[in-house]
Amino acid sequence: MGEFFNVFIKAAFVENLVLAYFLGMCSYLAVSKTVKTAFGLGLAVIFVLGITMPINWLIAEYLLSENGVFGMDLTFLRLILFIAVIASMVQLVEMIVEKYSPSLYNALGIFLPLITVNCAILGGSLFMVSREYDLTQSVAFGLGGGFGWFLAIIAIAAIREKIRYSAVPAPLRGLGMAFIITGLMGIAFMSLMGIDPAAFASN
Amino acid sequence: MKKALLNFFNRIEPDKKKQPLLHTAYDAFFTFAFTPNTVTASKEVHLRDGMDLKRTMVHVVLAMQLCYLFGTYNIGHQHFTALGMYESFFAGFHLKLAYGLIKLLPIFIVAHVVGLGIEFWYAAKKGHAVEEGFLVSGALIPLIMPPDIPLWILAISVAFAVIIGKEAFGGTGMNVLNIALLSRVFIFFAYPTDISGDAVWVAGIEEGVSQSYGMVYGVFDGLFGALGLDQFGSGGVPVVDGFTGATPLSLAFQGGWENVTKVYSESAMFWGTIPGSIGETSKPFILFGAVFLIITGIASWRIMVSMILGGAVMSLLLNAWGATPFMDVPWYFQFYMGSFFFAMAFMATDPVTASSTNVGKWIYGFMIGFVGMIVRVLNPAYPEGWMLAILFMNVFAPLIDHYVLEANMKRRARRATATA
Repeated sequence: MGEFFNVFIKAAFVENLVLAYFLGMCSYLAVSKTVKTAFGLGLAVIFVLGITMPINWLIAEYLLSENGVFGMDLTFLRLILFIAVIASMVQLVEMIVEKYSPSLYNALGIFLPLITVNCAILGGSLFMVSREYDLTQSVAFGLGGGFGWFLAIIAIAAIREKIRYSAVPAPLRGLGMAFIITGLMGIAFMSLMGIDPAAFASN
Repeated sequence: MKKALLNFFNRIEPDKKKQPLLHTAYDAFFTFAFTPNTVTASKEVHLRDGMDLKRTMVHVVLAMQLCYLFGTYNIGHQHFTALGMYESFFAGFHLKLAYGLIKLLPIFIVAHVVGLGIEFWYAAKKGHAVEEGFLVSGALIPLIMPPDIPLWILAISVAFAVIIGKEAFGGTGMNVLNIALLSRVFIFFAYPTDISGDAVWVAGIEEGVSQSYGMVYGVFDGLFGALGLDQFGSGGVPVVDGFTGATPLSLAFQGGWENVTKVYSESAMFWGTIPGSIGETSKPFILFGAVFLIITGIASWRIMVSMILGGAVMSLLLNAWGATPFMDVPWYFQFYMGSFFFAMAFMATDPVTASSTNVGKWIYGFMIGFVGMIVRVLNPAYPEGWMLAILFMNVFAPLIDHYVLEANMKRRARRATATA
């Protein structure tokens, strides 16, 4: 349980996927114009990350590794299998959203299916492999990373709503401002960088 | 008192048509004391109003004056005690004051020239009146710098904060992050050796007394000599070897509260005769400013109270955890160390970057206290947490407001449908 908590906190705040690694920027910048749509997309990302991470862990552990079912090193298939899992999960989310919230479905438009190629999600799975997480840790990392992404996108959406009526210089309006705000948010998030929850848990 | 002042102003108001120049001068002083009566008049509901900010700014600057006085003197006091001279607080009064001025004035001037220069240039470019918004940031920035900060670094950081943090967002009142803190955090990450560690908080340790600004010291020496007082001397003062100006926080990080009290007494920490950023050490003077701001209605007491609550709750939790000596520091002593009160009085309450709704202010302040204590105690990379915690919550302040407003709208809609 403590381990789960550590990885979750670390993924959400200390090593935020957007503000520390700058992953998943395309949908983060494109869908953050209003808090409402950002909230929806953020939830979708939490869901997809939280589901794909353990599935990909099982695949990497039991299908692709040398100790797996096939008994040989199939890691060259890793990328394509991860993407396949992510794509099918995104398809699932898309159907759910279309059924239960057509307005959100219309507002998100092309960016909902584009979660498939959201680098935060594939990046999460690859981090999981390279950091050699176990199953619990990868669930925690998926949920924490998704939560961090969710926090970042609703925070920037609220800021962008707030500055809509500000006298921003014309060349900076829109995306220019979004980049500047993201950079400043990155500075603010550096406050928690360097905290290692695990270092205190053992005592 | 408020009424008497208003009556006085009404009585002396010159005729605008007959004496336009006099009226402008009158108006300038009137808006120092009172906000003008003009409001954004329309039927819609406003969260923010384009009101005249001058009264707000001048009062904040006034509230900081005692910190300036004490800070100036403390620069000199720390310097001379580190050299082993004039160790009692009031000994060598004129030397300490002069030394503090020599250190503080260049910082003050550079911050204002750079910041106001950029602001004037933008105002001319955009064709509107100068917004004077830098007056507060410019007064705050020197107080949160170490006394020996290189002036070129200061200039770069102020330029960064004003251009990226404020003018890009559309000028005064529209920035998302606190300008003064943004300039400090810029130095903190770009030139960390000049603003963190144990060596930077006492001025002039490596250079002795009269290496830089040599001529200025000469002028003061001439003056003091003529008055028959002690002089700076001409470089005869020894440079201290192996001096560590460890702040209470770094001592606490190494060995808990006992380690701190070995070096600094509680009264020294309370009155602020300890090394630190220029204006943040003296608690009574800062609290005086805080009370002044609350009475004049400038700063939000909600943010201050909830920030203390947040810090206390987090340090109590850390006490319960108690894994390192720093976590075991009793929660009330946590407030003795570092810049908690300065951040609370002057930084967190910045009306532009804080939450605007009352419920939002409680959440905002509480989270600053909470996160700041986490950063201070748990993060080995940073000695103090308030600057980063306030920036962190600045980012979330619009979000908090958004949800508080939405909840309010929902509640009123429900009430409307219930009565209909």
